[in-house]
Amino acid sequence: MVEDSTRCLRRIGFSLAPVVLALAGCTAGSGEGLDAGGRPISGPPAGNSDFQEIQDTIFTPICTVCHAGANAPVGLRLDAANSYAMLVNVASVEAPGTLRVNPGNPGASYLVHKIEGTAATGARMPANGPPYLSQAQVDLIRGWIAAGALAAQQPGSVLLVTSSIPGPAETAPSGTNKLMLVFNAAVDPARANVNSLELRDATDQIVPIASAVVPPGRANVVEIALGAPLAAGSFQLAARGSGPAPLADMAGRVLDGDADGAAGGDWLIPFDVAGGTR
Amino acid sequence: MSSRRMFTRCGVVALLLALAGAAQAEPYLAAQMGLKCVQCHVNPTGGGLRSVFGNAYAQTQLAARRIGGDENLWTGQVMKFLSVGGNARANWNYSEVPNQSGANDFAVEEARAYFDFGVIPNRLSVYVDQRFAPGNSTNLEANVRFWLTENTMYVKAGRMYLPFGYRFEDDNAFVRQLSGINMQAPDEGVEFGIEGGAWSAQLAFSNGTAGAPEVDEGKQGVLRAEFVQSAWRAGASAALNHTEGGDRQAVGVFGAYRAGPVVLLGEVDLIDDDTIGDGGRKLLASLAEANWKIAPGHNLKLTHEWFEPDRDVDEDEQTRTSLVYEWAPIQFVQLRAGVRAYDGIPQNDQQNRTQGFLQLHGFF
Repeated sequence: MVEDSTRCLRRIGFSLAPVVLALAGCTAGSGEGLDAGGRPISGPPAGNSDFQEIQDTIFTPICTVCHAGANAPVGLRLDAANSYAMLVNVASVEAPGTLRVNPGNPGASYLVHKIEGTAATGARMPANGPPYLSQAQVDLIRGWIAAGALAAQQPGSVLLVTSSIPGPAETAPSGTNKLMLVFNAAVDPARANVNSLELRDATDQIVPIASAVVPPGRANVVEIALGAPLAAGSFQLAARGSGPAPLADMAGRVLDGDADGAAGGDWLIPFDVAGGTR
Repeated sequence: MSSRRMFTRCGVVALLLALAGAAQAEPYLAAQMGLKCVQCHVNPTGGGLRSVFGNAYAQTQLAARRIGGDENLWTGQVMKFLSVGGNARANWNYSEVPNQSGANDFAVEEARAYFDFGVIPNRLSVYVDQRFAPGNSTNLEANVRFWLTENTMYVKAGRMYLPFGYRFEDDNAFVRQLSGINMQAPDEGVEFGIEGGAWSAQLAFSNGTAGAPEVDEGKQGVLRAEFVQSAWRAGASAALNHTEGGDRQAVGVFGAYRAGPVVLLGEVDLIDDDTIGDGGRKLLASLAEANWKIAPGHNLKLTHEWFEPDRDVDEDEQTRTSLVYEWAPIQFVQLRAGVRAYDGIPQNDQQNRTQGFLQLHGFF
């Protein structure tokens, strides 16, 4: 019995060797039908802004090897769906006093320090370098930030909300008193105001909004300041694409809030606010 | 040989033998010796501060030769209740990317110090792993470890590296990057572990944020178990990270086999991540490694890795092949030289780069 078990275990041990050798036989793909990011080529190219170029040539093909999914280092996801909302005006985890991307100020943006190797904390990115980003790639990111860190444009489409802070179903930290919306095109500042937005709590009571503005140099963003920090609980922010004061872009296109491809409807973002302190 | 020296040598051998059921090392070294990770490191899951056994092994077995007398063995214990250790890696790197000119630089890859305050010897410790370079000082691990029963069952709480697969020194290995559980991304939580006979098993619960502040109710659970024999070992890992944005599931198998001076290691990890792209992605990474101990202090390492970024997309696979020579001329010093060739889709230059490096590694 003991001998049988020993023989069986030894057999398992011997079988590991061919498994390891089999793993060594795997080869790289030909890349047929894929873009530079390794994704299937389908449909028209998505916009042509600096940020789209950064996403397509740097974030997606290089950074998302690690910075994607629920286990992305320091929670920073750089895939196309999340990168903008997780970079622009978001505090760095490694250096909480510094924004990852400080629009208009590349020198004060932690992202720039990380890719140039001058960050106060941690290794230069990409972590599997060298090679690190070329000077042309660094300059592209610096230029994008210096120009206001605008979101990718989706020409020819309707005005949409592309991301928000907090995002849908996310939990904002305790004491949250600012919200942010990011659009796919430049928003008309004259139509971004407290009347084009509405915030309600879990009891459906309206929560006062102090101001809603398009900050200078960031035409795709609407920053919302609240009258007071939000209490712990559930909330829903509505960006108006209907009613007397809908949001619209500089071309006069009203927000497609219900994402049906046509102007109109409200964009709803449910979120929670955490209680207590960490 | 003087009787004192003989006595000291016998003491070293006795020390090694006495501790031989309980310490940890770099995976291939552990497999070469047929020991568990906890044999050479105070951390039962490996890495970081070396134990008395680990330090003795580094001085008497790992290097080609040893400087100094047997009476001067470094044990890491600088005071009765305090052990310290460290790692420093200084590199010269060269890289070549298609359509770009080559580049090279000198760089400090890492400089770290470890402190273990054994306030109740062999039972209760407060452990700190601090990185001093590159960049400012950063805490990587800070936890309390309590052995419920000596050398058999423990609980650890605080900031730590989670247990998943093999803890390879190379954090850029595809399996380390894909799992998201590596030396760059400690997490905060609690870990329970068992070191019983040939088994080594850990169960951990953490924020699942890879070092970022926790923002939701979701948590991560990780389970790792390994069966260790003298000539071979095999294990499996599983992780579930539940977030409000979706779940991330990871499973992996790993093993090693020793055939004379050669140690073969393998690991395969499969990830199903709902939080990537539209509708999630399934990713796969594997590693196969052969280590040949040419002579005492000399090791040749050949590694082949494979990465499948999306199982639903064809022809997007990447590989990484490394050849590394490791020479430990004297104790606590290692010289490493290596080349790594990436092979990926032709339209992505970064996926087809070549790297070379020379490294001076000092540790204690």
